[in-house]
Amino acid sequence: MVAKYVMLADTTRCINCKACEVACRAEWDTPLGYSRDWVKEVEYVNAKGLPEVQLFPGRCQHCDDPPCVEVCPSGASWKREDGIVLVDHAICSGCELCVPACPYDARWLNPVTNTISKCTFCQPRIDKGLQPACVETCVGHALIFGDANDPNSAVSQLLKAKEWQKLVTDEVNIGPNHYYYTAGKAIPDAVMPKLNERHLSGTLMENIVNPLGTLGIGGMMAVFLGAGIKKLIDRRQDVSNKEGSHEQH
Amino acid sequence: MSSTKPTIKVRTKDVIAIHWFNAFFWLTLVLTGFGIISGDFVRLAPAFWPTFLQNLLGGNANLVLLHGIGGMVWAGVIGVYALLNFKRVVLPFLKNVLVLTPKAAIADVSSMVITLAHLFGLLKHQSVPPQGRYNGAQRLLGTMIIACSLAIAVTGMYLFLSPMLLDFAASAGVLGGVFRWALVIHLAAVLLVLLGLVAHIYFAVVEEPESLETMKSGEAEVAFIKHHNPLWYAELEREGKV
Repeated sequence: MVAKYVMLADTTRCINCKACEVACRAEWDTPLGYSRDWVKEVEYVNAKGLPEVQLFPGRCQHCDDPPCVEVCPSGASWKREDGIVLVDHAICSGCELCVPACPYDARWLNPVTNTISKCTFCQPRIDKGLQPACVETCVGHALIFGDANDPNSAVSQLLKAKEWQKLVTDEVNIGPNHYYYTAGKAIPDAVMPKLNERHLSGTLMENIVNPLGTLGIGGMMAVFLGAGIKKLIDRRQDVSNKEGSHEQH
Repeated sequence: MSSTKPTIKVRTKDVIAIHWFNAFFWLTLVLTGFGIISGDFVRLAPAFWPTFLQNLLGGNANLVLLHGIGGMVWAGVIGVYALLNFKRVVLPFLKNVLVLTPKAAIADVSSMVITLAHLFGLLKHQSVPPQGRYNGAQRLLGTMIIACSLAIAVTGMYLFLSPMLLDFAASAGVLGGVFRWALVIHLAAVLLVLLGLVAHIYFAVVEEPESLETMKSGEAEVAFIKHHNPLWYAELEREGKV
């Protein structure tokens, strides 16, 4: 069976040491101020009136139905059979149509390469049988990565053993493959995915240019197919009329 | 021509060659262009097509390269041809084809509607106004193709070359924004031309194969011109060509 890679984040074990971010930046040599992963801190007052902090390590969620792949005009954004969403930098134009499409804000334009950067679950490391850099370096063992289709993998065992949640809402439910354990606590809104405002050009293309073009070309083909059929019928009629008048003579 | 009816030369060999060159490149560029886009958001061809073409050519990078280079060859050859033959071919063609005034556009739309209606046996009593070398639909299509081809060539160059040559990240989103609008214009222009090509191909193949013949041999039947393009026939008569 083909692997299905997933990432688990046990938020009760995260200590916000940022080792994962540092490892990711070192692994991918990301420019200053940019990172392919992050840890979100959410402060709130609990039921007892005491302040609390929840920590959410985040990155590309490698969704089953990734909108970033859908909007890519050059096919640079693509999804591997094992579920990893990648960017082919040789053909990425850096047009950023995919950036607002991602409700997890996991994509950004790399100012050095001029192409889109994002978490790849450290695909080159995975292909060598290694763990992603962030998982390797997580001091609290809060991050666990593996093949969910392998019943013997750590992620499969953990998925069965604990109650995991995904970052999905009624508005955004695109099959993320990143799970979070919060020991029963609700996930704060600040961490939840949100639909971003798309580029006007992209919206115009999706909602006007493409449907009108498809309808127009389809309509024209239908009209001229109809004209062709009518011409055939008329010719047939002509021939039979001529034959009829010939027989009468 | 197999017919023994009197004919006259209406097209030179180079015009015929550039027409078929244009047709071949249009077909290739449309097929490869539709193969580049895999995402549903901007994809126009059925999903199997990008997969098939990308597998055939060893990946999307090769397909993008082929489409980009093909586009530049298309624009380059037609551009150079137009420059070299501007007075002899391009200018007379533009004079015949360009629809620039609202009055001309209304007249051409009306003649096109009547022609189309006749195909379905409608508006039988409304005759098509006498036509010159190009009829209303051809003039409208010609104007649209010229405008769209220029748009396609310019936006296509930007789409292909700008990611390689320009620094999108340093432009605070401006160059990327231009790229996204160029994509919209490129796609819209291609779709507009395709819309017109459906009619163009139908008329050439089914309704008036005589005009297709002129695009093969360069010869047109005099009787055909007299019947379909009376104003052009009168012009040819005045010039002593028929």
